[in-house]
Amino acid sequence: MLSLIRSLGKNRRLLSDMVRRDLRARYVGSAMGFFWSVIFPLLNLVIYMFVFSFVLKNRWDPGQTDQETALLMLAGILVWNAFAETMSRSTNTLVENQNLIQKIVFPSEILPVYLAISSLVNMLIGVAIALIAVAFYAWVSPMVPVAGAPPPMHAIGFSYTLAALPLLLAVQLVFTVGLGFVFSTLNLFARDVFHIMGVALTVGMFMTPIFYPARMVQEAGMGWVLKCNPMYWLIDSYRRVLVYGLWPQLPIVGAFAVVALIVFLLGATFFSRQKPRFPDLL
Amino acid sequence: MSTTTTKVSAPGATSSSGAAVLCRGAGKAYRLYDKPVHRLWELLLPGKKFHREFWALRNVYLDIPHGSTVGIIGENGAGKSTLLKLLTGITLPTAGEVQVQGRISSLLELGAGFHPEFSGRDNIHLSCSILGMSEAEIEERFAKIVEFSELGDFIERPVKTYSSGMYVRLGFAVASSVDPDILMIDEALSVGDEHFRGKCVNRLNEFREQGKTTIFVSHDMGAIKSMCQHVILLDRGEILEQGRPEKVADEYLKRAKSRGNERLSSFDRGTSEYPRWGTGEIETTDVEMIDAQGQPSLVFQPGESFRVRIRYKVHGAAANPVFGFGLYRSDGTYVNGANHHWREHPIEIRDCVPGETGVVEMRFDALPLLSGSYYLTTFLYDHSKAAPTAIDHREHVLTFQVVDARRLQHGMLFLPSHWSVVRDRPGQGATTLESDA
Repeated sequence: MLSLIRSLGKNRRLLSDMVRRDLRARYVGSAMGFFWSVIFPLLNLVIYMFVFSFVLKNRWDPGQTDQETALLMLAGILVWNAFAETMSRSTNTLVENQNLIQKIVFPSEILPVYLAISSLVNMLIGVAIALIAVAFYAWVSPMVPVAGAPPPMHAIGFSYTLAALPLLLAVQLVFTVGLGFVFSTLNLFARDVFHIMGVALTVGMFMTPIFYPARMVQEAGMGWVLKCNPMYWLIDSYRRVLVYGLWPQLPIVGAFAVVALIVFLLGATFFSRQKPRFPDLL
Repeated sequence: MSTTTTKVSAPGATSSSGAAVLCRGAGKAYRLYDKPVHRLWELLLPGKKFHREFWALRNVYLDIPHGSTVGIIGENGAGKSTLLKLLTGITLPTAGEVQVQGRISSLLELGAGFHPEFSGRDNIHLSCSILGMSEAEIEERFAKIVEFSELGDFIERPVKTYSSGMYVRLGFAVASSVDPDILMIDEALSVGDEHFRGKCVNRLNEFREQGKTTIFVSHDMGAIKSMCQHVILLDRGEILEQGRPEKVADEYLKRAKSRGNERLSSFDRGTSEYPRWGTGEIETTDVEMIDAQGQPSLVFQPGESFRVRIRYKVHGAAANPVFGFGLYRSDGTYVNGANHHWREHPIEIRDCVPGETGVVEMRFDALPLLSGSYYLTTFLYDHSKAAPTAIDHREHVLTFQVVDARRLQHGMLFLPSHWSVVRDRPGQGATTLESDA
């Protein structure tokens, strides 16, 4: 396990090369290139605004405006997408790179790591778009409060609490890489894992309050589901920072960090125990 | 491959030595599972066994000194690639110990890790990075790699637009630029055109002159004999013989020959899957190839004398039967066709009666073919009419191999030749050197 972390340090240049290539590979050969990274979150924002304010007329809380709902959804989906993308890609990454693993001496532990970093960097582009939208609705075109409703719980906007962002990214990275180690290895034992992962991610997305408020789950008496869902803790923390300019709640971030660390340690141990067998398992 | 000293050993082994490669009783067992899901059960239920072991390699003892060139030969499935994987450290031995000293570069696969959408330039950078080179080393070698690959302007275009030849050239250029102490090659040189192969061989010779160790797998006995100092013959996972190239390569050829003949005896000639047609008055019952010692064989050497023998049996009346052969290379090239009628002094067969049997033989004094796989078709036609009609035409009756151990000439045919060189040196007059063989 320690040798695995040391190997990551030793191969950091290869790691950064692979991240750079992966970010470029997303759009190489497409005419709009990098702008797709900008267009996707923008498009998401517009769609949520349209669907939830014109079609469903769904508001999470009385007193919440359509724009606020859309921004909360955007923040949630950005984080979830980065997580889901890494999970589905890293589950299959050892199989995809079998020519490297079987034909040359290759530090396979960098594969789940570079995928996670690449997704996070890509997510940051979306985060920047989200912050621009937050600034726009907070200061340029403030929202009109709903008549007769109670005043909003928090005002939207961001502040110096953005300083918590690197911490959130770091714990997210540790959590995602740890799971990546586990599932990339498991997938060598049974390739079904890759297919199960696709289903599990869809289920996970709807189990996590991204398109509906956590309050609805609690009112339905299903609050325990949220208590066992670390991704909800993470998304909730991101929302506080990005949409409301608040500090994340320490117990929640702390709990996530502990879970992330445990997952990472277990994953890295499992991965490095099985690593000598990779060429034979492929 | 940034290994300086790789010591890979199964539990309980110890060693110390100055050799480039040292194996002590190394063996590799693969686990075979009846169902893929058994792997998962085995992981989840420790202590229970769901696999059978297959020993791809066992009891390997090797001591390869620095600076030697070593060849590994053996039939398909003998364990050659597994041995290379053990030596490179890609897989770990199940038993025994493998010890390698020095930076290794392996050409087990050319262009591993290339991304099709990126240009040759980008791929060189990442591949070199994967092979463990530093930024400075890559900068320094970049121009050389491009020059060696002969890609020219294509270096800026995506690798997906490359021909397979260009792909392999770039792969070889990258892998051989690592400047290893030990180079391991798995039949990588069997690709590419003649010109590029020549360049690769030159690169290998440079390595040898610099006192570096090369280990390569090949089926080309000519290359093995001309380049190696030490040859290892593997058979079904074990070292059958190792030592001087001449001796070991000859042993391999001998075994290949007897293996080929085993196939001859098990070949059911009655139910050939190739077409056979004709009116059937005369049947060609047996077709054999006989070597110089008078033994049936399907493996020959260039220059060897050999005979093709057909036995026949007459079932009905045929006016003017003529036996013949067609000799084809495995790709279908028609090499030679002959019969006993189209000759300056033809043989005529008249008045066949049912019940007659006989033997037709054609003898070559010296087989002019070089290495390759060939097949025979036999013709039996009635030439009494203007257009000969088939009595018994048998396509692809026999397949045989020509194995060229001496490699005196290249190409398809051995052409006997005479050479002479006239040297006119100042003060010494003219001397003539001649060679008849």
